[in-house]
Amino acid sequence: YSFSVEGDAIKVYVRVRPPSEGPALADGDQGLCLSVLSATTIRLHSKPEPKIFTFDYVANMETTQESVFSSVAKNIVESCMNGYNGTIFAYGQTGSGKTFTMMGPSDSDNFTHSLRGVIPRSFEYLFFLIEREKEKAGSGKSFLCKCSFIEIYNEQIFDLLDSASAGLLLREHIKKGVFVDGAVEQVLSSAAEAYQVLTTGWRNRRVASTSMNRESSRSHAVFTITVESMEKNNEVVNIRSSLLNLVDLAGSERQKDTHTEGLRLKEAGNINRSLSCLGLVITALVDVGNGKQRHICYRDSKLTFLLRDSLGGNAKTSIIANVHPGSRCFGETLSTLNFAQRAKLIKNKAVVNEDTQGNVS
Amino acid sequence: AAAAGSSWAAVCEKFRTARTLSAVESRKDPETEPYRSKYSARALLQEVKQQLSAAEEGGEARLLAVRRAVLEYELGVNHTDTEELSAGEEHLQRCTQLLEPHRLSPDCVSLYIQAQNNLGILWSERDEIKTAQTYLESAEALYNQYMKEDGNPPLDPSEHFMAEEEKLTDQERSKRFEKAYTHTLYYLAQVYQHLEMIEKAAQYCHTTLKRQLEYCGYYPVEWALNAATLSQYYLSKQCFMEARHCLAAASVIFSQAGQVPSAEDNEAEQDQQYLCQRKAEIARFWIKYCLNLLQSARKLLEDNIGELDPDRQLELKAQRKKEEDEKEEGRKKAVLFGTSDICDSVLAMEEKVSSVYPLDFQEAREIFLVGQNYVQEAKEFFQVDGYVSDHIEIVQDHSALFKVLAFFEEDYERRCKMHKRRIDMLEPIYADLNPQYYLLISRQLQFELANTFYEMMDLKVAIGNRLEELDSHTIKKINSLAQLAIKYYELFLDSLRNPDKVFPEELGEDVLRPAMVAKFHIARLYGKLITSDHKKQLENMQTSLEYYMFLVDYCEKYPYAVRAIETELELSKEMVGLLPARMERLRAKMYPFI
Repeated sequence: YSFSVEGDAIKVYVRVRPPSEGPALADGDQGLCLSVLSATTIRLHSKPEPKIFTFDYVANMETTQESVFSSVAKNIVESCMNGYNGTIFAYGQTGSGKTFTMMGPSDSDNFTHSLRGVIPRSFEYLFFLIEREKEKAGSGKSFLCKCSFIEIYNEQIFDLLDSASAGLLLREHIKKGVFVDGAVEQVLSSAAEAYQVLTTGWRNRRVASTSMNRESSRSHAVFTITVESMEKNNEVVNIRSSLLNLVDLAGSERQKDTHTEGLRLKEAGNINRSLSCLGLVITALVDVGNGKQRHICYRDSKLTFLLRDSLGGNAKTSIIANVHPGSRCFGETLSTLNFAQRAKLIKNKAVVNEDTQGNVS
Repeated sequence: AAAAGSSWAAVCEKFRTARTLSAVESRKDPETEPYRSKYSARALLQEVKQQLSAAEEGGEARLLAVRRAVLEYELGVNHTDTEELSAGEEHLQRCTQLLEPHRLSPDCVSLYIQAQNNLGILWSERDEIKTAQTYLESAEALYNQYMKEDGNPPLDPSEHFMAEEEKLTDQERSKRFEKAYTHTLYYLAQVYQHLEMIEKAAQYCHTTLKRQLEYCGYYPVEWALNAATLSQYYLSKQCFMEARHCLAAASVIFSQAGQVPSAEDNEAEQDQQYLCQRKAEIARFWIKYCLNLLQSARKLLEDNIGELDPDRQLELKAQRKKEEDEKEEGRKKAVLFGTSDICDSVLAMEEKVSSVYPLDFQEAREIFLVGQNYVQEAKEFFQVDGYVSDHIEIVQDHSALFKVLAFFEEDYERRCKMHKRRIDMLEPIYADLNPQYYLLISRQLQFELANTFYEMMDLKVAIGNRLEELDSHTIKKINSLAQLAIKYYELFLDSLRNPDKVFPEELGEDVLRPAMVAKFHIARLYGKLITSDHKKQLENMQTSLEYYMFLVDYCEKYPYAVRAIETELELSKEMVGLLPARMERLRAKMYPFI
């Protein structure tokens, strides 16, 4: 086994959607809070100074679905075929074009629509590669694809392929990594089938939002495809397995109450409830110590635990940050771009326990 | 008077309804109208305010002012709850102005503190943490002044709109007052954390925990975890007495949570699971305590080559008796958790493990054993099946406990056996681990295994050096340990290669030092391999030279790397200078006539 260090940094893409139709655009650029300067830079018209952001790729309003797919996902799907894990995240405020980018036009489940998004195209490409590989290798090589689709809401895990289930647990396997215990796994034989499973699950998610008062934009959805290949060379059987995660993050405007709240003090409950955020304060105190020999519990969120490999681990990861260019969305756009900027800094932290004492003797 | 009485009763009723709407009903409001009940409560409060003004002519001025202050307070909280900060601020300010002259009297002090608390929250929402701090600190000061000058249980703000017969008992009053003040401290803990006044923040967290215990406002499991986490803060400050106290209290309070009887239904099972996990977490906090105490002691006791310094040992033993006792007594009073019965259990818990630096093997062993017990306890829950990374982390801690205990062991053979124990626990886990998902842990294990074999080899060499002559068994042992160390260092270095098996041109900062140390150690290991075959020996020297060269060349190319490996680089340079001459001499010996 050997795995790369370079290239583990998360790639960040920004896509600017066209502004909503309406009279606001009468006089040229007015009403827009940003402009795309090049294929990698974007300028936000903040005051007093405009702010320039640089990303791995910036898609302007004219960029086609095909070209977004090519730059964001193609290479991830390819490395998935080579045994790497890959993850594609979509991030952005509701209405910023996340669903359009990932799924395609919302009114159609049509898998062949010319405007279909990154996800159906990834499916097509994955199965195209599998077919090609099979033809090349003949009967010596076989593939098995399985998928699962889960939703994380309020730190609880729900199976979108089994609406009867509730409260699944995350566990780890020494050979297979992190998995959702008890999640339904469906075998896939074609891209169309994958898309079928995805849309069914997606619908479950929306149904859930009304029947159980769970708001879809407050939940994260993770669609995972496991690609297993088996190659027979004489007597030796070589099995390789990798994951492709497609993640739809909760609407960024919803993150406000948990993440980007800055200096706000956490209020104590009115009733005879304990002072619930004290633990967070203490945890922050311990973090400052920054030593290796500390223990802190309840730090991992379910999402980051599940995707630990993708966030600064041994995987190829891309984030697509979707933004709306309207000046009314300035605040949200700024925070999305800031988030995307931060995401670029995430990389593999291979901290190796090493004693500085006693090495040289 | 009767009419006035009945109308006062109506006013009180209205006030009570407003409070119920605000606190209870509002939680059931639909998402489309999140503030419906709050708005109804606000309307009622406004009405009460009107009625008070109407009654003005007959009323006593002070009484009236206080009642109005209560309403301003309620309106202030209502407005901030509904995201109207400016209006909220105005009401709260008016409340404090009305109370200003009476703020130290028993009927006003609690309300005044709560108004200040809310102003603190309000300003923090405006991102003005300094302003929030002034309000909260003045609330804190007022509490202290009141307790010093008066100290009787003060009126609860809600009592101003209550009939005489409904008024609260002194006990209830005191409870509510203390709770308001606990909130002040809790908010201050957050303020200090935001201002990065870490020490102060820790102190306020500690006090909040302490008060939660005193006034019974806590959930045992949550409290225990908070106290245990706080112990880790004290560890980072090397305050072992405080750290142990937090942990002992955590263990005692956790045991109050009790065991849920195992039932068939799913919920009870989940609760049980939750309790087991939390118990194991607390064990893990204890492990870190033992580990840190031992490691800090080692730091104090080691000489410049990392061995136990006997002079230092004697010196510290003499010093210990004198200082520690008095010093700790004073500190202890400041941090003690709990009322007398809890206190006794906590003290009993503390007695099971020392909080002073162990200075010899016997003392170190006692701490080690406590740590090892907690390792077993933690492993009961965090089994490798299901909790891979937690389980491995615990095993790594176990290995670290053995490692530091070995430092105190003077007998080299026994010390070697301790390292062998580490190998036995780490190697099988490493063999099973899939680096595709656990790359980081896999690297850590490779490196630790390599280092352990390296240490064992050094010990065998030291043992061998005491003998008249190296016997073939010892030589074989030394060589095989060296080969194993090389194997694991190479595995580590291989993990840095890219998919085309190429070693990176430039190393990332996070792996720079370990990679360099690995190269350096491999160079040394090739130098240590014992062989009577000159040709083989020459080859080993050549390999050794190449690895030393790597360090020298790399640092020439990337001068910033020098900082990370100064000592290793210096020695490498020296070896690069010496080795060719030695090899030349060896060659001359091999082929004397050429």
